[in-house]
Formats: sequence, structure tokens, C-alpha cells
Amino acid sequence: MRRSGGFIAGVLVYIGAVIALLPVLWLLRTAFEGTGGPLVKMPTLWPTTPTLANFSAVFTPEVMGKLVNSIIVTIGATLLALAAGFPAAYALARGGWPRQLDKLFLGAVLLLKLTPPIALAIPLYQVLRLFGLLDTLLGLIIVYQVYALPFAIWMLLGFVRDIPISYEEAAVLDGAKLGKRLSTVVLPIMAPGVAATAIFLVILSWNEFLYALLFIQSPSNFTLPTYIATLITEDQTYWGPLAAIGLVASLPVLALVGVVQKSMTRGFAGGLK
Amino acid sequence: MQLSSRSLFLLAAPALILFGVLALYPLGRNLLLSFFETDYGLEGAVFIGLDNYTRLLGDYFFNRALVNTVVFTVVSTLAEVGLGLMLALLVNRAIVGKRLVMPVLVLPYVLSTMVVTAIWRAWFNYENGFLNVSLKFLGLPGVEWLTDRNLAMWSLIGVDVWQTVPVAFLVLLAGLQSIPEETNEAARIDGAGPLRMLLTITLPLLWPHLLLATLLRCVESFKIFDKAFALTGGGPGNATSTLSMFVHQLGFRFFDIGRASAASIIMVVIAGALASVYAWQIMRSGDET
Repeated sequence: MRRSGGFIAGVLVYIGAVIALLPVLWLLRTAFEGTGGPLVKMPTLWPTTPTLANFSAVFTPEVMGKLVNSIIVTIGATLLALAAGFPAAYALARGGWPRQLDKLFLGAVLLLKLTPPIALAIPLYQVLRLFGLLDTLLGLIIVYQVYALPFAIWMLLGFVRDIPISYEEAAVLDGAKLGKRLSTVVLPIMAPGVAATAIFLVILSWNEFLYALLFIQSPSNFTLPTYIATLITEDQTYWGPLAAIGLVASLPVLALVGVVQKSMTRGFAGGLK
Repeated sequence: MQLSSRSLFLLAAPALILFGVLALYPLGRNLLLSFFETDYGLEGAVFIGLDNYTRLLGDYFFNRALVNTVVFTVVSTLAEVGLGLMLALLVNRAIVGKRLVMPVLVLPYVLSTMVVTAIWRAWFNYENGFLNVSLKFLGLPGVEWLTDRNLAMWSLIGVDVWQTVPVAFLVLLAGLQSIPEETNEAARIDGAGPLRMLLTITLPLLWPHLLLATLLRCVESFKIFDKAFALTGGGPGNATSTLSMFVHQLGFRFFDIGRASAASIIMVVIAGALASVYAWQIMRSGDET
């Protein structure tokens, strides 16, 4: 239904798009800007002296080490959240819980999802120290479940509920046990949902900052966000190399979001929609 | 088709164990330690009852952080939902190049928060940041975006709004698209103008989505730590210190674990109050579908 206000609406939307895009274009420009140091003479969006030199700051053993750390923690946290979250979501969706324990469980999931992560940080520090996991990537993978697990359960719960129960009943009549039912009926139908959930978990873990800051002390174990934070809070920041690192740190997420564009709303609403 | 108690338990066990270790134990320990004066655990701790709580409520820095956090949460949530609603209403009409513009509108949210903070720290730089250089280019004086006590909070809010408008936008756009076209059509035939349609049809039907977007943003904004940490460090003075930063400082810099635990518990109580509204709304909208 096209109506006369369409033109003005279009202009307003494009103004919004420019505001969204401008800082990102600046990042792109600065990554290829050759004047070096913190100096910017003119507010240009095009590099005055284009160069690839800033990217040589990315391909150093130091930055590559952080990149590898980020990848390890992200994959580990995502797999752990799916492995623990999927069976829990299935159990919650298919019911049979005594005395409303499922409601209690869901309430606990929600509470954890909404609790500010800093409010758990001090006891978590003690837990990690107790198990000798302070300053380790494995420790980070485990504490990231504070964010990842409630998210995984909520989102997967919706996908399990979407599966008609009759499919599974048919499998039961054929004599399939629970494990077989999950692997041959439930998981194949849910594969797109699991993939979308995994991608959101990847984004979540890739960007996490607080726990990486608190529980990792050795610079060699830093992830990309904590490394970038140390670069920005220095007195003299070299924006060229920083922009190049920022660009490289953003690319995996940008690529993944392209893949899940359709289920984006579901994910951003925290799987609650 | 119900599951046996044994399979239920086995399926839920990994998640339950993680919950126990990552949520229940920490919350319990925080609650316990909040009644003690201690620099780490229970050894050598002195029981002081509610002193940590009463001292916090009279503490200038705590109150400052509390007020800052509330201001940040309320203002950024209202701005994000308001702008998100405007964008969703506009995009929901026929727009030229919608497919092209959608990814651009969502772009700020998919950048890593630390990268976003880096960009804006560079833009806000007084000497040669993009904003002040642009102002100088136009012959205008520079602005102390991050160093002016009264302005720093607004700069921080601005960055958060820039980054997270897409969340409200996407939730509300999905809501708008779920309103059947026939409803609008019927109203139009009855002679309703655009404003009347917005107020009497669109907004009431969109209400659950508006509430969801608002609660979602409230809960997230209340946690604010990383942007404030890397953009202003809580300064100038305490102008942008937040509750998360306050707990971080007390616990990890000053090792006043008793008081940090009490502050954590206060944060959980506030988040819990928001959570109960949120839970109530989800249960309700869950019943409808």
C-alpha cells in the first residue's frame, strides 16, 4: 500500500542509515590511512595517503595470539552451551516435571539471564581459583556459560516447541528410545535452529569483555576485546593500527550475521519471542 | 508423551550443575559475605550484621554510581525504544531499497562493543577527534565530549543509543509485521487518518512488543560496564561511574569483599524487580501463542 508520505519516510530512513554507517566508514578509512599516529588533519572519510601498513600491526605474533585465544574461547563456550543447553531445553519443552519444577528451573534461567554479570564476579573468582582455572582459557569458557547457557536454553526451547509432538510419537511407536529419537527426529528438524543459536552464542562469546578482564591476568591469554581495551586506554593511541585490528575483530561477526539475517530478531530478543 | 523422571534428570543435569556452580553458589556466597567484613573469604571475617548495607546507603560514591546507572538506564532505554519505534514505523512502509538499507541500520549492533568504544573514543578526542575536527572545519569551537563533567554521561548515552537502537528496531519491526494488513485496510475504509490509525490501532496492537523491547533494554543497560570502563573510566571525577564499575573497584581494587558483596546483592535485587515484570510479560505473551 504506497501512500504519499513514502518519500519523506524514505529520506528519514536514509538519514538514519547514514548516522549508522558514518562511524563504520571512519573505521574503514582509518585502517587504510597512512599519516600514522593520532593526528587527523581533516575530517575526511577517504584515506589521504592510502596504505596497507596498518595491517602489518595485525599480523604480528602478539595480535595473532589474541586472535587464537578469542577463537578457542568462542568455540569452546559455544559448544559447551549447546551441549548443556539442548538436553535441558528438550526436557523443559517435553514436560513430565513433578510439582512445577520446570517453572522453577525456567525462573532460575531467567534470573541468571537478567543478573548483572559483575554481581557474580567475586564468588566466580574464588571458584576459578579453587579449581586452578584462573588465568586460563578453559576457565573463561566455563564462566561464559553465565551468559551463554540461559541464552541457549531460551532460544532452543522455542525451537523444540516448534516441532510437532506427533513426529516423535510416530518414532516412539516404531520403538525408538530417547537417544535415538533425539538424534534421528528432533536434531535433524532443529538443525537450522541450532545453527542460528550457535551463531548468536559465537557473537556473544566473541565480544565478551568483563570476565575476560577480571579472570585473565597474563597478556598472552588476553582475548581481542581486552587487548583492544588496553590499546584504547593508553595515553597515546595509534588509531591506524587499532582500526585495522578492530576491523579484523569485527569481520567474523559481520560474516556470521549475514548468514542469520532472517532469524536475527529472534536472537536479539534473546530467544524470548 | 512424557519423559520419565530419570531421563528428565539426566537431560537437565549438565545445565543444573552449571547453574549451581555459576549462579546459585555465587549468589549464596555473596549474600553470606555481605554480612561480614572481609578481604577474601570467611577466614578472618568479622560478622557485622547489616553494617555493609547501611554504610553503602550512606556512601557518596555508591549513591553517585546508583544515580548514574539509573539515569543511564532510563534515558538510553527511552531513546532507544523511541528511535527504534520511529525507524520501525518508517521502514514498515514501502521504502525504496529496503533490502539495502536494513543491514546498514543493524550494522552498529553487530560490531563488537570494544570496537564501537574505540571508534567513539577517537571521535570524541578533544584535540583531533573526528567530531571536533569537523566542528573546527565549520569554524565552530571544539566540545569537551568526555572531559566535561556535565557532558560525559550524555556522550556515553549517545554511544549506547547509537549501538543498540537496532535491538528495539528489530523487535518492533517484527511486531508491526505481525499486524494483519486487513486490520489497517478496514480502518482506512472507515476513514481513519494516519495519526488516528497509529494511536488507535498500531500502538495498542504493538504494546506487548513495546513492553518487551523496553524491558530488554532496561535490563541490559542496567549492567553497563564495558563502554563506561573503556570510554571514560567512570570519569571525569565520578560523573560516569556505574554500579558495575563500583562493585568492580570495591572488589577487585580495594578488596573490600564484604561491601562489594552487599552492593552485588543490591544490584541483583534491582535486576530481580525488573526480571519479575519481564517474566510476567513473557508468561502472558507465551499463553497467547
